[in-house]
Amino acid sequence: MAKVSIDRLKKTFGSAVAVSDFSLDIADGELVAFLGPSGCGKTTTLRMIAGFIEPTTGTIRIGDDDVTRMPVHKRNTGMVFQRYALFPHMTVSQNVLFGLEMHKVEPTERDKRMRTALDMVRMSSFHDRYPRQLSGGQQQRVAIARALAIQPRVFLLDEPLSNLDAKLRLEVREEIRDLQRNLGLTTIFVTHDQEEALAIADRMAIMYDGKIQQIGSPEELYERPDNLFVADFLGKMNFFEGKVSEAGKFITTSHQREIFIDGTERNVQKIGVRPERITLSAQPQGSNALTGVVDTAIYLGSILDVRVRLDSGEFVSAQLPNRGSEHAQHISEGARVHACFEPKDCVLFSE
Amino acid sequence: MDSADKNAPQGRRVGASLAFPASVMVLIVMLVPILMLFRYSFNVFDNGLMIEGFSLDSYLNFFSDPYYREVFLNTVYVAAVCTLLSLILGFPVAYFLAKSQSRYKSLFIILLVFPLMVGNVVRAAGWMIILGNAGFVNYFLQLFGFTDQPLQLMYTPFAVIVGTTGVVLPYFILTLQSVLEGIDFSVEEAAQSLGANFFVSFYRVVLPIAAPGVAAGTVLVFILCMNAYATPVLLGGTGITMMAPALYDQITKAANWPFGAALAVVLVVATLIMATLSNWFIHRRYVKTMVS
Repeated sequence: MAKVSIDRLKKTFGSAVAVSDFSLDIADGELVAFLGPSGCGKTTTLRMIAGFIEPTTGTIRIGDDDVTRMPVHKRNTGMVFQRYALFPHMTVSQNVLFGLEMHKVEPTERDKRMRTALDMVRMSSFHDRYPRQLSGGQQQRVAIARALAIQPRVFLLDEPLSNLDAKLRLEVREEIRDLQRNLGLTTIFVTHDQEEALAIADRMAIMYDGKIQQIGSPEELYERPDNLFVADFLGKMNFFEGKVSEAGKFITTSHQREIFIDGTERNVQKIGVRPERITLSAQPQGSNALTGVVDTAIYLGSILDVRVRLDSGEFVSAQLPNRGSEHAQHISEGARVHACFEPKDCVLFSE
Repeated sequence: MDSADKNAPQGRRVGASLAFPASVMVLIVMLVPILMLFRYSFNVFDNGLMIEGFSLDSYLNFFSDPYYREVFLNTVYVAAVCTLLSLILGFPVAYFLAKSQSRYKSLFIILLVFPLMVGNVVRAAGWMIILGNAGFVNYFLQLFGFTDQPLQLMYTPFAVIVGTTGVVLPYFILTLQSVLEGIDFSVEEAAQSLGANFFVSFYRVVLPIAAPGVAAGTVLVFILCMNAYATPVLLGGTGITMMAPALYDQITKAANWPFGAALAVVLVVATLIMATLSNWFIHRRYVKTMVS
């Protein structure tokens, strides 16, 4: 395995800019997820690293080698595709052997490595089956074994779980994470599913409009989003517009309401509060308590998803853990409540 | 769902009954003439008259006459070469067309269909202008001093092969392209990321997956070539004779219906055998494993 360094990568198609100013260093053995809505450039970037698309400018290094203009078949990357891309005319073991043959591995060694790779994904007993005889999850496992058997320098996954149903998705996700940890694979994982990225990534790069919006650990990105896009894309957030009147005090534009915030920054134009950081109570509690009426309360099993219409007319969404009905008595539709949160739970945005 | 399930068999019955009259028509129009020719081929030809009977004379004449053996071999040879040329010229076009995401793709497909709207005779006339002794090719050959005398291009196997390939190539490309269109080309990318260069990934992965389309296109083109009439007549003239013109001559000029019918039967049977064999071979080699 090797580290990957991407420096000021850019790709344009005609006048359309698909990716620009993309710089990222991925450490040896690290799993980085590229997360973003469709069309954000995450797949284009991955395909440039794999070699299927030639960058317009910028450099890609794998280990110490500049691979920017290197053809795909010399890069030694292990790629897993959304739709598995197994060779339909070859058996499971032939699929895995193909890459080993291409890498000119000794025939006796080939067999050994094929078996090891299939063992890793618990598919050895299916070695003589054809892809069409396997379920989606099994096919993707074989695809993973095939990609890893060649001992690639980078492991690339392009939305590998999108075609699987919910339960399998979780299972294969865990499997990818375990393999990645145990083998110390330098891995890039492209996904549009934030939960997937949060669960699996050491670091994630959130992309929008061809650019990295923020890079960091899942916790960093969720707790301290750099901009409104990241805050809004990752989970939900309630926003209030306004400005800082004096240190630690934010005045909303709509109703001149005071909200206490942490930090001495003056140039704040929006603040955001996560729904799960808001508590609803009959009596005001803590520093900030906004009064309103429960508009809708949706029972989602483990949480209650409540929408409160504040007296100012704005809506605030709150997520409350389900602690049994006696705790939720005051949260019936139409009930007056206080939406309470602490200054430390306010994220400040200056844009 | 329930009501749909109940309706399904009834729907099939309605569909079958609707298709029935057309099927009968096709049967009458297609099968009856062939059966009649088959019957005629056993009749006796005597002093310019066809006499009802059962004899193998026409077939014996065909197999014992070196001229007709040559006609038959010419036909197989031209058909085989044209099919091979279509494969070599047509595969890359179909492949890039299938992979293309260009907005001009549909324009290319229209360009491919366009020759099909012009009759074979008209296109053969075009080739006559290009290949004739005072034609386009000879003009340039002489202009640049490659030859003093005009090269005899018309009325040669070369002219027939060029003309026939031109006729069948669009059929091959369109057939193959529609099959290639259904391939998920990420298998090609997978092969390349596993270390295969373009040619290896093409030969080992794309080609085997494309085999059903190649088989369909090849068989179609081969059948078309075996039965070509207008192009061999106009471009081959007396220089090279193929089966379809020969049997036409027997029936219309010599009025020898039994012998013409025997030629037709030989042509149909030979075409069927070769088409079936090549189809079987390709399926055995590539397709068997992919069809459940």
